Amino acid sequence: MTGRGTVRRGVLSVAAAMAVLPLVPLLVWSISGQWRYPGLVPQQWSDRGLRLLTDPGSQVVQGLTTSAVIAVTVAVLACCIGLPAGRAIGVYRFRGRTLVRFLLLAPVIVPGLAVTLGIQVFFVRYGLSDTVTGVVLVHLLPTVPYAAVLLGAAFANLDLDYERQARMLGAGPIRTLLFVTVPLLRSALITAALFTFLISWSEYVLTLLIGGGQVRTLPLLLFAAIGSSDTTAAAALGLLVVGLPLLLVAVSARLLSTAAPTTIGLGRL
Amino acid sequence: MSGAALGRRLPRWARILLLLAPALTVIGVFFVAGIGQAVAQSLGHQPFLPGSRLSFDAYRSLGQDPAVRASLLLSLRVALLSTAVATVLGVAVALLLRRTGRSRRWLSSVLQGNLAVPHVVAALCMLLLLAQGGLLSRVGHAFGWTSRPADFPALTGDGFGWGIIMAYVWKETPFLVMITLAALSGGVEQLENAARTLGAGPVRRLVSVTLPLIAPPVAAGSLLVFAFAFGSYEVPYLLGRPYPATLPVVAYQYYRDTDLALRPQAMAVAVLITTLSVLLVAGYLALVRRLSRRAL
Amino acid sequence: MNDSTGATVELRRVSRRFGEVTAVETVDLSLRPGAMTALLGPSGCGKSTTLALIAGLQAPDSGDVHIDGAAMTTVPAERRPVAMVFQKPLLFPHLDVAGNVGFGLRMRRLPRREIRARVDAALAQMQLSGLAHRRVGQLSGGQEQRVALARALVLQPRVLLLDEPFSQLDAGLRAEMRGLVRQLQARTRITTLFVTHDQAEAVDVADDIVLMLDGRIAGHGPPPLFYSNPPSLDAARFFGVTNELPGRVSHGIWRSPDGALRVPCALPDGPAILTVRPEALHLAGPGDDPGEEDPPLTVTGTVASARFAGTHLAVRVQLSGDRTVTAHTPVGTPVPVGGKVRLSMAPDACTVFAAARA
Repeated sequence: MTGRGTVRRGVLSVAAAMAVLPLVPLLVWSISGQWRYPGLVPQQWSDRGLRLLTDPGSQVVQGLTTSAVIAVTVAVLACCIGLPAGRAIGVYRFRGRTLVRFLLLAPVIVPGLAVTLGIQVFFVRYGLSDTVTGVVLVHLLPTVPYAAVLLGAAFANLDLDYERQARMLGAGPIRTLLFVTVPLLRSALITAALFTFLISWSEYVLTLLIGGGQVRTLPLLLFAAIGSSDTTAAAALGLLVVGLPLLLVAVSARLLSTAAPTTIGLGRL
Repeated sequence: MSGAALGRRLPRWARILLLLAPALTVIGVFFVAGIGQAVAQSLGHQPFLPGSRLSFDAYRSLGQDPAVRASLLLSLRVALLSTAVATVLGVAVALLLRRTGRSRRWLSSVLQGNLAVPHVVAALCMLLLLAQGGLLSRVGHAFGWTSRPADFPALTGDGFGWGIIMAYVWKETPFLVMITLAALSGGVEQLENAARTLGAGPVRRLVSVTLPLIAPPVAAGSLLVFAFAFGSYEVPYLLGRPYPATLPVVAYQYYRDTDLALRPQAMAVAVLITTLSVLLVAGYLALVRRLSRRAL
Repeated sequence: MNDSTGATVELRRVSRRFGEVTAVETVDLSLRPGAMTALLGPSGCGKSTTLALIAGLQAPDSGDVHIDGAAMTTVPAERRPVAMVFQKPLLFPHLDVAGNVGFGLRMRRLPRREIRARVDAALAQMQLSGLAHRRVGQLSGGQEQRVALARALVLQPRVLLLDEPFSQLDAGLRAEMRGLVRQLQARTRITTLFVTHDQAEAVDVADDIVLMLDGRIAGHGPPPLFYSNPPSLDAARFFGVTNELPGRVSHGIWRSPDGALRVPCALPDGPAILTVRPEALHLAGPGDDPGEEDPPLTVTGTVASARFAGTHLAVRVQLSGDRTVTAHTPVGTPVPVGGKVRLSMAPDACTVFAAARA
């Protein structure tokens, strides 16, 4: 029995190592000054990469701001749009519900680029191309369905008698929503906000298509850096792009482990 | 009359419609209209430009384009292999993981962190690890297996798509571990114990109880992985070759080409991606449903 | 309370349908002000819908609800002078006990200090004083429902609605909570409607009972009425009458092979059923002479079984014509199982109903 347990632990340790290993060269590169083949460790260490991230004159700080503004706006909008939709599919049984659920799931399955190419000209036409507004709007495509489906599941598990009780205690519809429904859905809302934020934060090709290279979020800067020969800069930037998601997931780990549908969302970052 | 009282007077269907309106607007404008526009423009329709002529030319030229055939093959290969490997690995790790008490929490949090890694960063990590000048190649040199970067097998920028597949496997396996763990927590153990009292050994239990029970959610999860691997842009762009490139990369290349005459073809590729992902997903689901029913 | 008279609550020809099903059918109901009324009926009889109509959580399809003489049709639930306690405690999990009790007062935008004072008083009244800052998840079932009661009563409502509030508690606790509610109601004189499906609970708690069957009011009056003079055969059955003797009424007299009984002349001629409660049937040997001038109605039969039922013996007697009746006799009475017995019943313990038209 102990023998089998040891084998199992061994296999799992290998799995954990495989999960972490690819991040190692990223980390090392970001603090290396010179790392020529075939050295296993850099010939020279340097904080140049990390300084690049904090230099207020660099594009990175601007990109960080742009990324954060877009991702926060998208998360808030997606939750505000997803909350009523989640209520409709979670609470009511109505004709056409299957169609609505299909429509809400389809954008999860059909690649966003294929769907967005056809409407890019309209973004140009209506002056939304190359703007932050346009990028925020196009980010709603991959995020709203997640928020709606996740909050739909939460509403399906919500006992609506709580709302009736609040009404009997004198709370009108708006205050019932604010003081009762939203607190009861707190963990689902945080989860939805978290991963719509992460989806937007990680999005590249939709930002490129609609932002036209003018709206420079961190993933766009990272792409450019990977294309250049400065591996240290790319690695440092990569560290920044991956750092915030890791931090957020670590902070909300307890929340995520209780919400299984969350993982479905995170699979698409 | 206050909004509250007004809201109560609304008939049920109007209330439901009002609740759905914002989300359906987003999906209608970006998804339904997006697909409609892609189809129309692939047939030669040009919004805001006069004199568009409808034809199947774009599809005809796609059919004759060897590059597109190679792209299709590459996209399917990459998506199928990464989904298969990630599913097998994910289920296996989850089955091992569920019985280990303390280390489970620890490994779960590692895998959760992995889930949050953006695909752009995953591609960069694979470049730094797998490229001919990357860390693995250097390890090979240190052990004396290779002497030059070129001796190391080309895993990135290769024609087969190894690097792309590995990036997807690395990113999506933790996702499938999570899905499988969630599926395993729903009373599967009682049924396994019931099977044990009926005389089923460990292999029988796994094949005829555990796997059929977790098949539907795992299938749904691997289907998401497949659709994503088939249709995403970042990873194949960074880790693949310009030719043959995966379909999404081709679509974007055609769309961004200075030659506007290529636009209908870009749209045709987009329509192809959409159609194929929906069809493959539907067929795959039907297959899994039948398989799991037979096993039960 | 600020005034001694309780609120009036009236339902005027109120109906409520759900698709094909009529939950409440043209109900006219007027609650006695300041009294505790039990709304009694089997599940699905429309009693919870009636409560929701008074609360404003549902709108009637026709008819009006009036509270203190004012029509409530356009008044939303949150503005009615009504508080309600549901079957489940429904304590808000994100608030502590004091936060829950003070919720309605905060919705009324009262000053913080007044809220605290009134919450403290309400908690003290419910013997919950030490629990003000307890998390809701740490309460026992009885405490939860006491907090729910405090949360309703702290609003000093004109009308209190209780929807089977203790049905999820165990029997001992339920009796204790009933006592508490009765005592609070007697002190505050809030017009109270207590929904229950348990006739013993209704009798125990209420000043008046409204019996509801199939969406209609089947009887309304003080509890003894339903025992001494049930308003209908269905009402009698709901209140535990198990003995029914078929016969015929002609010219104000009910007759059957077992005997005859004078009945109120309001009863039309035709088939009729005499009902009598088991405890009103008295057991006598076949030879015993009643020895009275006006002999009570008697029937004879064979004792089929005698079962000990705690406070009494439940004796099943087989009558002629495949009929059985049950009589309750004191424990210790000799009962000849298999032997012949005569059962007598006092005329005023019997009620005759016209048989249902087939």
